[in-house]
Order: sequence, then structure tokens, then C-alpha cells
Amino acid sequence: MGQNTTTTPIDLSVDLAGVHLINPVMTASGTSGFGPEYAAFLDISSLGAFVTKAVTPEERRGNPQPRTVETAAGMLNAIGLANVGLERFCREKVGYLSGLGIPIVVNVAGRNADDYANVCRRLDEIECLSILELNVSCPNVSDGLDYGTDAGRLEALVAHVRPFVRRAKLMVKLSPNVTDITATARAAVNGGAEILSLINTLQGMAINVETRKPMLANRVGGLSGPAIKPVAVCMTDKVYRAVARDAGVPIVAMGGIQNWRDAVEFMLAGATAVAVGTMLFVDPTVPIQIREGLTDYCHRHGLSAVRNIVGQVDR
Amino acid sequence: MPVMNHSNCEPSIHPRLIDATVIANTLICREHFRITFECADMTGARAGQFVHLAPARSASHPSDTIGTNWSPVPLLRRAFSIAGLVAAAPDRCHIDVIYRVVGTATRWMASLRVGDSLSVMGPLGNCFPLSTGKRHAWMVAGGVGLPPMLWLAEALRGADRDGIAFVGARSRDLLALTVDRNVPVSIDGTRASPAAREFARHEVPVVISTDDGTFGFAGRIGGALRAYFAAAGVPADDLVVYTCGPEAMMADAARFCAERGIECHVCMERAMACGTGTCQSCVVAVHEPSAVDGWRYELCCTQGPVFDAGRVIWSGVGGAVQH
Ligand SMILES: Cc1cc2nc3c(=O)[nH]c(=O)nc-3n(C[C@H](O)[C@H](O)[C@H](O)COP(=O)(O)OP(=O)(O)OC[C@H]3O[C@@H](n4cnc5c(N)ncnc54)[C@H](O)[C@@H]3O)c2cc1C
Ligand SMILES: Cc1cc2nc3c(=O)[nH]c(=O)nc-3n(C[C@H](O)[C@H](O)[C@H](O)COP(=O)(O)O)c2cc1C
Ligand code: FES
Repeated sequence: MGQNTTTTPIDLSVDLAGVHLINPVMTASGTSGFGPEYAAFLDISSLGAFVTKAVTPEERRGNPQPRTVETAAGMLNAIGLANVGLERFCREKVGYLSGLGIPIVVNVAGRNADDYANVCRRLDEIECLSILELNVSCPNVSDGLDYGTDAGRLEALVAHVRPFVRRAKLMVKLSPNVTDITATARAAVNGGAEILSLINTLQGMAINVETRKPMLANRVGGLSGPAIKPVAVCMTDKVYRAVARDAGVPIVAMGGIQNWRDAVEFMLAGATAVAVGTMLFVDPTVPIQIREGLTDYCHRHGLSAVRNIVGQVDR
Repeated sequence: MPVMNHSNCEPSIHPRLIDATVIANTLICREHFRITFECADMTGARAGQFVHLAPARSASHPSDTIGTNWSPVPLLRRAFSIAGLVAAAPDRCHIDVIYRVVGTATRWMASLRVGDSLSVMGPLGNCFPLSTGKRHAWMVAGGVGLPPMLWLAEALRGADRDGIAFVGARSRDLLALTVDRNVPVSIDGTRASPAAREFARHEVPVVISTDDGTFGFAGRIGGALRAYFAAAGVPADDLVVYTCGPEAMMADAARFCAERGIECHVCMERAMACGTGTCQSCVVAVHEPSAVDGWRYELCCTQGPVFDAGRVIWSGVGGAVQH
């Protein structure tokens, strides 16, 4: 431990649109299942918040395998939103999550605006689910285009879902596969998002040079892990300065976070909280290490509260 | 060393995340190494289970101003069947893994020296069911499907079964076994002999095949299996087959068993990321009468790697593309 840790307790808590987190470290959707999977390695109740895998109205088997492949300092995945579906989620998963005693974020996905609205309406009735996160990196069945890549359709989607989320807070997860992420960030806020999360995976592809076949059965997938971190930091910085700061909308940032220093980097760029995704696969205790490291960073920099660094990168 | 109770398929130990120290890492045949490492006790593990390995990174000490950097290759862990496990006093154990150097992680493993550390997550997955009530237990292994069978052989002896190992390799120099030159090896596949030291010490004789005919039975191991079965006169209902290796080989062994009503368990391999059931990478398509279209995906890492062969759908990528 650091030498001067005994002097003053550091306040690690942060606030996401009124949802209190004991520290700013969360899990990222799709990388920690529905909770129990990491129980042997990680005390989830010591995290700031837990984020589930995407929940869709119907049960989904997902894509054929191979679904993941390692790439330089990262990985591609094309899971295909495999999940148990809304009803089984409510029946089989909520019980465990409600016992964790920390804010629970449910990642919501669908094929059309009504899918999103129906899932949100049902989940909004469940008290322990604090935040609903719209995963808009999903194709709309009518034209196959992602909701998250067009500002106009994103704003319309968020506005459509907005009335069905009355108790929980509404978070929108931005796709990085856009020309200008501040445009989709602004659209999400205009549609009624109370929190923004970013970034989802970057579209990518890898090819087996011996067989000339794509490495993933789905041909393309989403790139995550340390390889994408500078992209994610840059987008966090842009969204914070152009949209989130003035709108008073907090950011949950993610993309390749592997240690406390990465977490601080995102917070300096404007994130109120951070999420660990891919690196959980390598070491599920990374969030705990980050929490410890944040405390020490605050001591070394004479900070009484970690929230004081949010957006404090030199301009 | 006390023989462990392998009579059920329930591992009696929760997985852990620990650092281990390399105590040996030797080339055993072309491209194949055996690595032995010492780590916290995992003697509750069972044959069929695997360990998930990655380079050890200096733990992120809170006052470490650099922060743990996990990015050097390989990034993700890789799964390796436990090929052997012995208790080492006190509260420690030695684990054997046999690997073939084919890519990023295995090249890193081949570079490890005695005294180096590595990060171990495990034991993970389920294990081979032993309480099948069958007198005869045959292990059918191809290529890097051999490692879990070495530990299974020990478990079978503990469970008092009559074990035989059928081991196939592409060529003699890719056979990851210590062959005893003084013991004859059947070339028509009809006789098993104590020719491989790793199995002989558990009183398990072997039938060996090479695709190019450089050693033992010439051809695929499935051919040797059929020849042996035809000659041995072992009743199908008193026999259980365990298999691990390339998917086509396992599918062939499964077909052989299904045609004769022989109980068969397969140890599957899939691209994995988490190894703990969170990422949904490692799906195996299985017949499931209650599911839509009669099939569903199960996870190789937590519902496997060992599956009842009759449940597995062997089409390779499993069924049609959904949604
Ligand atoms: C339950 C389980 C148990 C296992 N047990 C064992 C075991 O006991 N022993 C063992 O050796 N392995 C075992 N494996 C496999 C192991 O986990 C690794 O997948 C394997 O060792 C390869 O890892 P790697 O990092 O060396 O290769 P990777 O770098 O992951 O590459 C995998 C293969 O793809 C090829 N490749 C990669 N990229 C390309 C490209 N662009 N074009 C063409 N080819 C490419 C590589 O050459 C290699 O053949 C097991 C797997 C599972 C799931
Ligand atoms: C295997 C895998 C599955 C994922 N599933 C989801 C998902 O269901 N919903 C979602 O919004 N994001 C999903 N993501 C994206 C992550 O939540 C995260 O945004 C992204 O991986 C970047 O963070 P990282 O680099 O720390 O992983 C998934 C990522 C991975 C690697
Ligand atoms: S490897 Fe992640 S679910 Fe099996």
C-alpha cells in the first residue's frame, strides 16, 4: 500500500444521473455474463456497478462458431447477442443480481424500436435494476443498418423508448463506427438519454491466410481490448467537450482498460465512471486492482475525491 | 502418491487465479513440449478439466506508478487439458501440460525456462464421467487430444477399470509418447501392448497408429479401433469410450460407438476467451429435444469440455445461422 494512505480517506464515489456508485469501476456488457460466472474470482458487490450481457425480447442462440479470435493487443467477437431472452432473464437472473447490493445496469437490444421499448418497459418495473443501457450497435431488421450509426434514427429510437423508462435511468451506448461521434452523442441526449456510455466495439475482420477464410464464422466482428484504447479515449474527450459537459450528462467510458492508469486517463478525458470488458477475460480481478490504484493515485496527487479529476485533462 | 477418488464427475474444487512456477519444460517430440509447473494445491481437479494459461504479469500494486500492463502477446488465456497432477507438500501441486507449438501462446510457452512464472486460472470445465459401471474403458486420442488421456489413464486405474489407449499421430516423430523399443507394437491394430511408458505405468496398454505408417497401425486411429474391437470380443454394453482430438476423429469415434450402442464421451475444443461462461465464445451445438428445431448451443468451457458423444451435432459450425 502507499505510504500515506492512512491520512485522509479518499472518496471514490461517483454519481450517474442520481445513481450512487461506491466507486467508478464497472463491468462492460457481454464480458461478465449475468453475475455468478465470476463469483469465484471477484466480489462483484465491491464494484461501482454491474452491467449485464444484452437482453433481447426473445431468447437468441447467437452466431455459429468461431465467435472470437485474438488479434494484436485485442480480440474480435461476433457472439450475435446470444442470451436467454427477457422472460428467462427476469425469472432466472434478476434474483442473483438483486442480491449484489450495487446498482445493476441491464444492456438492452432489439431488432426494432418496439423491441427496445418492450424490454425497457418490463425491466423498468424491477426495482433493483437501476440503469437501462441501450445497445444501439444492432442492425434494424427493416434495413440492416445499425441504429447507432445514424444520428437521426438514433434520436428517434431513444425518443421512442424514453416514455417507457420512468423509474430507471436511461443510458445510451454509442457506437464508434461513425464519422462524428459527437453527432450521435447529441442525438442520444436530445432523444432523452440521461447517461452516455462509450465505446462499443469497432468493426473489424481477420483472415486465415492458409485457407483464405475469414477467422470468424460471421466474417466480421467487433474489435475490443487494449488495441482500441486510444480511439476510445479520444472519443470520450470529444463527446465530453462537445456534448456531455454542457448537457450535464455523465459518461461511462470503456475500451481496452487494463489498469488504474487507463481508468484515470478516461476520467481525465471526461468519464465519470469506467467499465472493464475484455481484460476481465484475462484477469477478473482487474476492477479491484483499479479501485486500489485509484485510491493511491488520489493520495499521490492530493485529491480528496476521485470525481475531482473528471474532465481535467489540460486543454 | 495416493490414488485420488475419481469415481464421479464432480470436481471438488473451485477455480482459482494463481501464479505458478515452471519446474520443467522439455521437448518430447517434434513441436511438442511437456511443461510442469508448481502452484497452489488443485488436487480436487479431475481428468478432463483444463487450466487457462497466460503470461504472469506483475500484480498491480496500488503504489505501482506504471500499472499492470497486460498487452504483451498473447493477450487472452489459452486452455490446456491437465495431463497430470500430483500433490506436492504442503498445499502445493505439480501440474503437467503437453502442448504443440502452433501459434502465439504456445510459442511463448516454449520460451519459458525453469523458475519463470505464469498465470494459471483453473481448474475449469467438467470432467470425464467414471462411474459408468462399465468394466472396459477405451481412450481414443489423436494429436494434441492425447494430454487429457494421460491423466484419465491414472484415474481409470484408481477406479479399477480395464483401460486401453488408442493413440494416433500423423507420423512417428509427432507421437508425444515415450515408446519402449523392447515392446512389440501391433501393426494390424488387433493387439494392445505396454509400449508407451506414460500409459504402461498405469497398467494401460496401447494401440498406436500413424497416418503415414511409420509406426504401429498404418492409417487413422479409427481404423485401429475397429480392428481391435472386431478381434477383442468385448461386449458393447460393458465398454465405455473416451475420445479427444481433431473433430473429424472424434466424430468418427462417436459414429463407431453409436452404431454399436457403446457409451462414448468426447472432450471438445473451441476458441475460448473467458473460459468461465461469460463471453459465449465456445459454443458446441447439441441435440436438445425441448429446444426450438431440436438443438441448442452449450458452452464448451463450463458445460464441457466433456460431452456425451450422442448429443453433439458434428456439422462443424453447428446448424443454421440464427438472427
Ligand atoms: C479445453 C481445451 C483443451 C486444450 N488442450 C490443449 C492441450 O492439452 N495441448 C495443446 O497443445 N492445445 C490444447 N488446446 C488448444 C489451445 O488452447 C490453443 O488453442 C492452442 O495451443 C493454440 O494456441 P496458440 O496461441 O499457440 O495459437 P494461436 O496463435 O491462437 O493460433 C491458432 C492456430 O491458428 C493459426 N493461425 C493464427 N492466425 C492465422 C492466420 N491469420 N492465418 C492462418 N493461420 C493462422 C495458427 O498457426 C495456429 O495453428 C486446448 C483447447 C481447449 C479449448
Ligand atoms: C465477447 C464480447 C461480448 C460483448 N457483448 C456486448 C453486448 O452484449 N452488448 C454491448 O453493448 N456491448 C457488448 N460488448 C462490448 C463491450 O461491452 C465493450 O463496449 C467493448 O468490448 C470495449 O471495451 P473493452 O475493450 O474493455 O472490451 C461485448 C464485447 C465483447 C468482447
Ligand atoms: S470461453 Fe467464454 S463462455 Fe466459454
